[in-house]
Parts: sequence; structure tokens; C-alpha cells
Amino acid sequence: MTPVSLALTVLLAPLVSAAVIAVFLRRAGTLAAVVSVAAAAVIAAGAFTLAFGGARFEVATPWLQLGSFTLSLGFKFDDLAALMLVIVALIGLCVHVFSLGYMHDDEAKGRYFGGLSVFMFSMLGIVLADNLFMMFIFWELVGFSSWLLINHWHERLSASDAAKKAFVTNRVGDFGFLLGIILCYWLNGTVSLSELAHGHVSSRLIPLLLFCGAVGKSAQMPLQVWLPDAMEGPTPVSALIHAATMVAAGIYMLCRINVLMVPDALTVIMWVGTATALYAACCAIAQRDIKKVLAYSTLSQLGYMVAAFGLGSLAVEHDGHRAVIAAGVGAAMFHLATHAYFKALLFLGSGSVIHGCHHEQDIFRMGGLRTRMPLTFWTFTAGVAAIIGLPFLAGFFSKDAILYLAYANNRAVFAVLAFTAVLTALYMTRLWRITFFGEPRSEAADHAHEGGLTLTLPLVVLAVLAVVGGYAAHYPAGFGGVFSQIPEAEGSDHLAILATSLVVLLLGAGTALSFYRPAAQDALEARFPGLHRLLASKLWFDEIYGYYIAKVQQRFALLLNYLEQILLAGFVIRGLVAGVVTYVGVAARRLHVGRLNVYVYWFLFGVVALWLFAAGVF
Amino acid sequence: MSNLPFDPLLFSIATPLAVAFVIALGLPKRWSVRLAYVGFTAPALLALWTWCNYGAAPQQQGYAFLRTYSTGLDQLGIRLTLGLNGISLPLFVLAGLVGLAAGLYAIQSGAERLKIYLMLLLVMLAGLMGVFASVDIFYFYFFHELALIPSFIMVGVWGTRGPSENSYAAMKMTIYLTLGAMLSLLGLIALYVKSGASGAHSFNLITLREIIAAQPLEVTLQQNIFALLLFGFGILVSLWPLHTWAPLGYGAAPSSAAMLHAGVLKKFGLYGLVQIALPLLPAGIAHWGWLLGLLAVVGNVLVVGLITMAQRDLKQVVGYSSVMHMGYAFLGVATCSTLGVGGVVLLMVAHGLSVALLFLLATSIHQRTHTFDLQEMGGLAQKTPVLAGFFVAGTFASVGLPGFANFWGELAIFVAAWRFSPLFTVLAVAGVVISAIYGLRAAARVFFGPSTDALAKVTAVHPPTDLGWSERLPALILLGALFFVGFWPQSISRPLNATLAAVYAPANPAAK
Repeated sequence: MTPVSLALTVLLAPLVSAAVIAVFLRRAGTLAAVVSVAAAAVIAAGAFTLAFGGARFEVATPWLQLGSFTLSLGFKFDDLAALMLVIVALIGLCVHVFSLGYMHDDEAKGRYFGGLSVFMFSMLGIVLADNLFMMFIFWELVGFSSWLLINHWHERLSASDAAKKAFVTNRVGDFGFLLGIILCYWLNGTVSLSELAHGHVSSRLIPLLLFCGAVGKSAQMPLQVWLPDAMEGPTPVSALIHAATMVAAGIYMLCRINVLMVPDALTVIMWVGTATALYAACCAIAQRDIKKVLAYSTLSQLGYMVAAFGLGSLAVEHDGHRAVIAAGVGAAMFHLATHAYFKALLFLGSGSVIHGCHHEQDIFRMGGLRTRMPLTFWTFTAGVAAIIGLPFLAGFFSKDAILYLAYANNRAVFAVLAFTAVLTALYMTRLWRITFFGEPRSEAADHAHEGGLTLTLPLVVLAVLAVVGGYAAHYPAGFGGVFSQIPEAEGSDHLAILATSLVVLLLGAGTALSFYRPAAQDALEARFPGLHRLLASKLWFDEIYGYYIAKVQQRFALLLNYLEQILLAGFVIRGLVAGVVTYVGVAARRLHVGRLNVYVYWFLFGVVALWLFAAGVF
Repeated sequence: MSNLPFDPLLFSIATPLAVAFVIALGLPKRWSVRLAYVGFTAPALLALWTWCNYGAAPQQQGYAFLRTYSTGLDQLGIRLTLGLNGISLPLFVLAGLVGLAAGLYAIQSGAERLKIYLMLLLVMLAGLMGVFASVDIFYFYFFHELALIPSFIMVGVWGTRGPSENSYAAMKMTIYLTLGAMLSLLGLIALYVKSGASGAHSFNLITLREIIAAQPLEVTLQQNIFALLLFGFGILVSLWPLHTWAPLGYGAAPSSAAMLHAGVLKKFGLYGLVQIALPLLPAGIAHWGWLLGLLAVVGNVLVVGLITMAQRDLKQVVGYSSVMHMGYAFLGVATCSTLGVGGVVLLMVAHGLSVALLFLLATSIHQRTHTFDLQEMGGLAQKTPVLAGFFVAGTFASVGLPGFANFWGELAIFVAAWRFSPLFTVLAVAGVVISAIYGLRAAARVFFGPSTDALAKVTAVHPPTDLGWSERLPALILLGALFFVGFWPQSISRPLNATLAAVYAPANPAAK
């Protein structure tokens, strides 16, 4: 099998799976699960063969041609795509297997696994796309599959609302994304990633418009509101889509269009990411729902990646000669990879906890799970250790790369990101301690139990990756093109960064350990209610948007509707055509006798008369 | 191929007419229904056959399957000339498919006075097939009227609202659409007389093109004739602010009539603009393009889009959304470029399929909830998952999700529009957010969340059943076509591109 046809197989396997499930297996949930997992296994096998087999290629075929406009579909499989493909395939397989256990008793398993397959298809399309139009196509499809899976328990109003909110918010971002692509097409005459790399018109507007897409999909401020609500979906979905892969697509897209970046655009991107990282970390401290804590943590980490990308390139000395590396891309992708492992692990761990506690999600009603769910505890611990940057775990390396880049390029950003890291250590340790330690604080937690093999095996695999994933950067065999761009501190900078990250870790985790006790009440709420209320408010983003939608947009729509009904239908048009209508009306009333056949006869009579006249009969 | 034993185009028009005639002779109901299947299926199969064989068929003057018949009006330059080019082929197929779906849905609907209902639908279908198969602009217009009149009767007699509302809607539709048709007829006659085609005694579009290519019309004349055509056709396609007949009429129309009218007949005006007005009157569109773009984007897309968000009635949501999507089509027309016009044709086909699907499903929902009021619905998906699946698919198609045909049309129009006016493009793309809001809101109101008390009362009396095969089959035809074009846009764009290159290149050398 040639690499191209293998890539095609990888892309189409989940589509076939989704189609088969939709057409034949809607009611046969178990069989649907098998088909979907098999597709995920095919993807994983193909992805590893492609990525580590060394094949790198580009192909394209025109798909829609109108005049001089050609939209093609194609693959651009370079090191960046290979890295992303491996991440998506690996996490995808883990989540599919986990879902076998987690969704075992669900009534709509067919729809769920079909949705997972649709998602895999869409996500792989983004990864492999060789041009921006194709990326946009799959970008939209990813938004749809996200809608489908958040909406899985559709009889819950909250799930249905969250799904709608996610799709619409993403569309707001896509509005800019699409305009950016169109502008890029007209300015450069092409949207092919490789052709753009060879030469393009420098523009500030294009990268910023394209960035809008990333703001939507990666839930950056001010469009971050949909991601916490998206936790209404089943937990494996949160792990796959709303933590590890889809939300990272925004960062991946930015790295794909790195060549189009200009300094001004990068500055904007950097500050958006930095603000999101800090904002979300603050929000995470006051959450009670285990998934919501992780959701805000995801937002914060995505902000980290966006900020890293925005920090841009770095001049380094290498073997005595100076070179400029795309450090932003390297650091962002590195963190994307490690984050995918440990955040998927944490989400699946939380799924295991929720499953064990019979769908209890409030951490203050848990406790004592360390002994009741030991495997989940230890793997979760690995995840927490990785995210807070415990030395030599995955998160430590990738976070240090970002901190160093910030240290070298922008000290203000460095300060904010370092403070965010303190908060990260704080809220993750809080979550860990309250969930797993102390006495069980509810019936459900008391009866908690470990799940079956399908639940635990993915946890172990991901825990291993969370521990060793950081060393991938030192093993650049498959992904040299990306990992060679990772900034590495040397000399005194190295010491400064190391010291910073250790201080940050000790400060955050230490505060959490001394401040929070496994108890039924939030210590912050008890001791600093004002601060807690501020953090829990999330700065009223939802309220402000809600006010806009209900009081401005909807009222404006109602006003227009009112005008439409009264003015247009009743007055203006009638006034304009009054003359005509009156005459037609008078004539029509004579004929208007209310019987159908009369009209038909009149019509036929008219047609025949006209015809005879025209044909020259009389 | 030229020595085909039969003419697929003539047969696709004649079969439904003949069936309607036989039913009218007083055939018993059982046999009428059986015969009606033939009348609805034949045009669809013939249309699909022409689609498959278009590429291999020999072309004469840019048309395949070209045939001319004398109808006794030769002295006036009127001959029944049938043929298909890349612009009319997709619409011909659209008419066949939507006609089949509407016919199947009508047969299972068990409407009162079913025989007359089916007869009228068959006549309408014959007219629609004729509109897109006609190369002669007299017959182009004639077939439109043939299709239009049954639709008024169906709204008035078989309407879904109260009797007085039905006749008001039917009357309003009649006045508006007759006015629109009259204006466009004036424009067509003016074109015929002023181009000198009357000297050549020919309403044939091919002759007309040749004459005008040899000697273009004066610029002011082009502008004036174009205005007649634009506003005449504009009324028929519900250009803002001449659109108010549409939501009212569709709200009242019985499902199959709404499917055929909104899905196919409404495309007559756009088709006329794309096939006749733009290539023959380039100075006209150059003059009126800005106004058209403005009305389309601000009026149809934004104002009507927001109005759609305020609707509480499911059928009104579909009706208004269809008006809104016509705004994209008008924007594509305004660009007067190969890409924009290609997008218009793609969108016409896609919109025709998706709006027909949504009208069909809206009626199926009504049969289960006994209301169109969105406030009274909720949670229907728990009882009817298949119906929910179809409706969600239809909604996402109309929202322009990739994978459905609508996406290609909208994308091509947006890209083309940037060249025409970046400002209009920005405003038009904003409509993508608006349609997502009202589309998903409607789907969620009907199907998701807990079921309302009002609905619980209804379902207690009439336990809802899921979509049966008799309703599912017509929906599948439409959805299948949406997917097919969505995945394989070349099936339409390849012949379309060739025709556009030929038709638009001489008229508009600036178009790329």
C-alpha cells in the first residue's frame, strides 16, 4: 500500500464506520461499538505506520472548478501533520476503548459511536488538509460532530443548550476564519499551504482573521464560554474532543499557517493566549464540578499554547552559528502533545471517578477514593503531577519550553504565565486532594468501585505517556521538523527557568496542601467569601452574552418582525401596488365564485382562446 | 445518441400531463393512484438518465438532447424547442427529484379529494420539467404559468391554515406572483422585439444569443429591459422587500405544493436571470448590480435572517429561512462572474432539495404534534429518533454544513462576492451565524429537552410513531441527493463550468 492510499484509508475508515452505523446499526449498539472501535484501531495502525515509516508527501486533486477558481482536496503530510496524526490516533483509540466501558449501558450507543467516528473523520481531515479551504470544510464538520456528541443526552435541556451554544460560538469564530481564507485566496491567488510558504503577500489582516477561527475552536477569550458548558457531553467525549484534540485544532491550524504571520498579528495572538491562560486558571479555583475544573484547566492550557505560538521565533546559537527557529511553533506543538496525553488522562480519570461514584460530579461530595479506586488514583496522580510540572514528567519539559521562550521574548508575558503556573499547581492539587483523600462524603463515594478493563487500560497507557511523553522531544526520529524548533534554555537562563518552575510548583502545590482539607465545604468559600464569589462569577461573561442575546439581539429581531408584519405586509406594498390590486380585485371578484372547477375552466378557456388566436385560426 | 428512439425531455413533460389527463377522465381512485406513481416517477428517472448521459450526448450549439417541435405557432416565431445545457441540466434533475418526492409524499398524505390534488401536482410537475427543458423563451414562460396556477389552487383549497387565511394567502400569492410574472413577460417581450429577434421570427434563446452577440443592445436599453426582468423575477424569487407573499404562502400551502413551489418553481426567476438576463444584458447587471447586492445582503440575508429568529411557527421558520437563502443567490447573481453564477446554480439545486425536505418534515412533525407552534413542542426525539435524524440533517444542510450540497453554493458565492464588494461579503458571511442560530434553535425546540405539557397531552391521545417508510422514502430521495452533490460537486460543476465559459465569456469578457 502506498503512503497516499494508506493516508486515504486512515481518513475514510471512520467515515465508512459512521455511514455503516447510521444506515444499519442504529439499534445494534454493541455492534456499532465494535465497528467504531475497529475503525479507530485501523486509524491508529495506519497513523503509526505513516508517521514512523518516514513517508512524507503532498498530493492534491481538484474537486470543484468554476472559471479560474479551483478548490482542491489533498494531503500535506509533513512532520507537523505526522505528530498531530499520532496524537489524534492514539488518544482516539484510548477514548474509543474507554467508551466501551463507560457507555456500556447507554440506550443510544449506536448514535454515540457513530458520532465518535464522524469526529475522527473530521479531525483527521483537518490534520491532513493541504489547503485552507479543505481545512475549513473539516473544521466545520468537527463543529458538527462536537454538537452531535455534546447533544448526546438530548433529553436534558442543559445538554441541548450547551450543544447549540458550542456550535454557534464556533460559527462566530468561523465567520472571521472564512473571511480570512477568502481574503488570502484573492490576495495570493492560492490557499495551498505549500504554495503560501513559497511566497505570499504580507498582510496583517489575513493572520488575524484566520486567528478568529482558532479563537472559536480553541475557546480563547472572548469566545471561551462554550467550552465549560460542553462538559454536558459524555466524559470520554470531553477527553477526546474538548481537551485533547478538537480544541487543540486551533493551535495546530496556527502552526500550519505560521508562514503568514507578521509581528503585529503575533502580538495580538500572544496577549489573547496569555489573558485566557490567566483568566481560566482563576476560574478553575472556584469550581466544584470535577469536569468543570478540568475544563477551565484546559482553557488555561490552551491559552498557554496560543501564547507560546504568539511569542514567535527565537534566534539561537547552534554549533557556533546563529539561526532563527520557529520557537513558537515548536513550543506550542510540544505542549499540545504532552497536554493531550495528561489532559485526556485526567478526563478519563474523572470519567472513571464519575462512573465509580454513580454519576456524582461534585468533588465536595467525593473523598476517600484513593483506597476505593487505587488504579484510578495512581494514574490520576500521574496526570496531576504532569500538568503541574513535576520535574521530569511530560508537562515539566513542555511548560519550561514555553516559559523560557516567554523569558527570552517578553518578560511581562513570562510573569503572567509563571503566575498562571502557580495557580495551575494550586487548583490541580486542590482537586486531587479533595477528590481522593479523607473520608467519603456521600453514599455514592462510599460505594465507589473501580471499573472494568476497558476503563482502566486506557488510563494506564495514557499515564505512561504522561510520565515519559516529555522525552519525545529528545527522540526526534519521526518529528524532527517540529521538535527541532523547541526552544531550549542554556546556561544561566536554564537555571533561571528551572528555579522559576520549581518555585512555582512548590508555591502552588504547597498553598493548596496547607489551605485545602478534604472537607464538604470549599475552604476558600468559608474563609474568603468575597474572593470566592469573584472567581466563581467568571467575570460575568455568560451573563453579559445572555443579556445581549435576550435583550438586544432577540428584541431587535422581534422589532424587525413587527415592522415586517405591520408596515411591509399591511401598508407599504399595499400602498405601492394599490392601484393595480384594486383593478385586479374588482375583476377577480366577478369571477370569484368560490368553486374550483370554475377557475380551471376559465383558465383552460383562456389558454385555448389565446392559442387559437396566436395560431391564426381567427 | 442523436438517433434516440425517444426524446427524454418531451417524455418527462408529457408523461405527467398525460397521467393527469387520464385521471381527469374519471379513473377510479385506486387506479388513479397507481397511475400517479408512473406520472411522478417517470420524469425523475428520465432526468437522472439525462444527467448520466449528458457528457456523452452530442452537443449542438451548447445544448444536448436538442429537439424542435412545431406547435402551430411558427408564424410567431414560437416553436417548442427542448434541450439542456450545463445551467439547466442540474435544475431539470432537481425538478424531477423534488417532483418525485412531493408526489410520493402527496400519495401517502391521504389528502381530501386526492385525485384532483394529484392531478394538480402532476400538471405542476409537467410545467416545472418544461421550464428547465425549454430553449424557447415563450415556452419557458408558458411552462412557468402552467406550474404556477395549480399552486394557487392548492394553497386556496388544500391549505393547512383556516379557510379565510388560506384564501387570503392564495390571493396574495396570486397578486404578487402574477405581477412578477407580468413584469418579466414584459421584459422578455421587450428583449424579443428590441434585439431584432422579431425580425428573425424566433423566441429561441440560441438565436437570440447569436443576434445579440453580433449586435449588442444599446446600454440604456439593456438597463431598462434588465430592470423589468430583475424586478419581475425578483418578486418571484422573493427579493426583499417584495418577499412578503412567500412566508405567508408557504405557511398556508399544503406540504407537496410547498415542496414544489419553494423547492423548484421559485428557482424560475433565478434561472431566468442566470440563463437569459445576465448573458444577454451585461450592461444591465453592471448598472443594477449594486442595488441588487444591497437588497440581497441587507434585506434578504440580514433583515429577513433576524426576522426568522423571531418566528414561533415551524413552517414560518422554514419559509423565512428560504427567503433568507435567496439573498445569497441574489448576491451571486450580482457578482456576474462565472464563479458567482456557478455558486448560484449549485445553491439553487441545494436549496431546492433542502427546503423541500424541511417542508416535508415540518408536515410530518405536525402530524405527530398537531401544532406548528415551537413553544408547544419539545423532546420529540425521544419518541421519533428517525424523524429527528432527518430533520437535523435537513437543518444542517440548510445551515450550509460541508458534506451537503448547500455548502458548495454558499462558498462559491462568498468567494466570488469578495471581488464584487468586500463589505457585502462580510455582511453576507455574518448570515452564516444567523442561520445557525435559528436553525439549531428550531431543531432543539422541536426535538430536544424535556417534552412540554401541551405536547404530552397531544401524545397521550395520539401516541406518535416514528417516520414510516412511506414518509421516509421521499425524504431519503432528497437527503440522498443533498449528500451526493455535497460529496461530489463535480457532478454538477463540470457541465456547468463548460456552459458558463461559453455563455458568459463573450458577454462579459471581464468575468474571470
